[in-house]
Amino acid sequence: MRRDHGCRRADHEFSRRGFLATGAAAGVAGLASPAVSKQLRKGQKRVLQIYLQGGVSQLESWDPKPGTRYGGPFRAIPTSVPGMHICELLPHTAQRMHLLSIVRGINLKTNSHHDGRLFMEMGRRSGSFPYVGSIAAKHLTPANAPLPGYLHITTRGLTDNTNAFLDARHAQLKLAGPKVPDNLIRPDALTVQAARRSGELLKRLNRRFSGRGGQKAFTDSYNASFEMAEKLMARRDLFEGKPDPKDLQRYGSHPFGRNCLLARTLLENGATVVKVTHHGYDTHAENFNFHLEQLGEFDNTFCMLLDDLHQSGLLENTLVMVMSEFGRTPKINVRYGRDHWGTAWSIAVGGHGLVPGAIVGATNKEGTEVSEREVDGGHLFHTYLQALGLDSTANHDLGGRTVPIGDPTRSPIKELLA
Amino acid sequence: MSRVPPPPALPRDLPPPIDPTKTHVVREFTIDDYPLTTCRIDPTGTYVVAGAEDFQIYRWPIAGPASARTVLRGHNSWVRSFDFSPDGQWLYSGGYDDRIGVWPLFDPNPAPARMVVAHDGWVRWIRTSPDGRLLASCGNDNLLKVWDTQTWELVREFKGHQRYPYAVVFHPDGKRLASFDLMGVLKEWDLASGKTTRQWEAKFMWGFDQKFRADMGGARDLRFSPDGKHLAVAGLTEVTNAFAGTHKPLVLLVDWETGKFQKKFRIDGRGAAWGIRFHPAGFLVGSGAPSGALWFWKDDKEKPFHTTGLSGGGRAIDLTPDGRQAAVAQIDRKLVIVQFTAKVG
Repeated sequence: MRRDHGCRRADHEFSRRGFLATGAAAGVAGLASPAVSKQLRKGQKRVLQIYLQGGVSQLESWDPKPGTRYGGPFRAIPTSVPGMHICELLPHTAQRMHLLSIVRGINLKTNSHHDGRLFMEMGRRSGSFPYVGSIAAKHLTPANAPLPGYLHITTRGLTDNTNAFLDARHAQLKLAGPKVPDNLIRPDALTVQAARRSGELLKRLNRRFSGRGGQKAFTDSYNASFEMAEKLMARRDLFEGKPDPKDLQRYGSHPFGRNCLLARTLLENGATVVKVTHHGYDTHAENFNFHLEQLGEFDNTFCMLLDDLHQSGLLENTLVMVMSEFGRTPKINVRYGRDHWGTAWSIAVGGHGLVPGAIVGATNKEGTEVSEREVDGGHLFHTYLQALGLDSTANHDLGGRTVPIGDPTRSPIKELLA
Repeated sequence: MSRVPPPPALPRDLPPPIDPTKTHVVREFTIDDYPLTTCRIDPTGTYVVAGAEDFQIYRWPIAGPASARTVLRGHNSWVRSFDFSPDGQWLYSGGYDDRIGVWPLFDPNPAPARMVVAHDGWVRWIRTSPDGRLLASCGNDNLLKVWDTQTWELVREFKGHQRYPYAVVFHPDGKRLASFDLMGVLKEWDLASGKTTRQWEAKFMWGFDQKFRADMGGARDLRFSPDGKHLAVAGLTEVTNAFAGTHKPLVLLVDWETGKFQKKFRIDGRGAAWGIRFHPAGFLVGSGAPSGALWFWKDDKEKPFHTTGLSGGGRAIDLTPDGRQAAVAQIDRKLVIVQFTAKVG
């Protein structure tokens, strides 16, 4: 079990593209009719990704081993699925496991935050490939979508090149929480007409720049940023105003509660992929006290969001993932911590296209190895896309050059597909 | 010619005097596979008990041998706190399975006489009143509770901590309690009314990790001096990276009469102080982790006047009734008995 405390600073910084996307707004107010949103709700497939950043402990969540050598102090509790037990830190989630399934045999063969995150998002161990969210946004976002296709609500920055070689429109747009994104508000001195003319001029200049041998990727990126900003400006109402006190009470008034409330609002209003990051699982010390706090916050809030999606019918069309970049070592270190561990860990998934209430894979008695149905980020990537009805074995068409969407050496977890 | 008579010889069996600088290990008790979580020595000095990460309690006669070990089974999680009835007949254990165990300590194979569901969440700490009639507990429901040790009925609940209280202790006068929580909040409680009578904020024993948005702090041990004039709080300070455990050990000494923070005893290096005792010879002795050591302080000096290295980090320390020895529960699966004197023979 190698310890890796090397959480590099770059992993926690905002990307330039993300900054541009959130900060470059000065465009035109568009219109997104509520009728369009309503229509979208009926059939549009969506993705809700909950990212427990830092590496949630599988032993304190989806794969408890109480009473074993590395089991830690927490007990396992029964769930709404007969025979399925999860950690006592997730009592609310336990009552909703009939909506979710657990993948217990993940082996990424890496203990690095950066590499684990990319593998879980790209389905490839290395290289530059689009994140599952960017691919879903590309293929599932309607042309007239009222919101950018891929929104990530996070209180801290992580460097992400989510779209890789795909069009910049499919890149992740970061939101710092339930507030109007910075610089989105049109200055009073700039009239709507002037802003529109300014935006059109910019597009013309960009086209000319590209046509004269300029790097198209740059202008695409800028154009995409402006398009996203336009959409967000048109739906400023989603970020303004105070949340319903009853909702706040249910979700919790902490940042994760507010962020999940925003996620619900975005999904209800036509967003295709919404990712919410819950920080604070990189527990090299005091793993048990910190998981008590972090999962206490996650458990109730996540279940309120899951309940709302379920009751509104959105869950039928929404793929849900609760994932990390890896798990945590079975061995408890001298600081009561658990270190990085990509060798044998778990995630929970549910919603559209997946069998609920299943457990796929297993680890051995002490949780030190995968003992059954070993999978990695490549298998999960295929599974996500096929659950969404996308052919993960097809190719990206890059103007004559083709790149397989999913790793051709991997396949979906068929027993998990509905 | 007169001769000066030689000085009288010391009796050969006179024990060597207490001298912390001569502290040495006299016995080791080791268990298989699992680190220890805490330990105590019973008031008669007969047994030492230790909790372990296998949920079990281990009992040894303090004078050995190691083979005389007895295993006490009953908890479903780690035991982090012990105390005894004043006569030593009853052992009380506080577990992370929300329960207090009540054990006949001198039974050849003790089984729990009771397992009291005490808190909604971990029982973090327990402590017996000076007369033994009451036992105080604190837990993850943010409550302190006082129990009748005859009936195990709840006598009183104390509400007021906003975050987990890590430890609670009776004042030697038996009329007051002190408790210390995650955020460094120290409270004095009136037993009769259940009200907070004084409160302090030892914020230097807490840290908020801005990057991970997490709090780290709390007491790892809490102990009044026998005369009740001082309270010692073992914990940590200077949290710079909570998730990596980057902080330093600290023992806070509070003058209980004036309410002033009298001294902050510091140790170089990373970690936390996990145990503290007032030694009858007038010094303080503490242990901590992750590096294994015993620290000795006296007077008003911030730094230890002596340090004895141990093989593994210490999670708790307790003294024998005569103060000549101490037990330390270590991370490396060892329960070590040290003696505060020069080696004999």
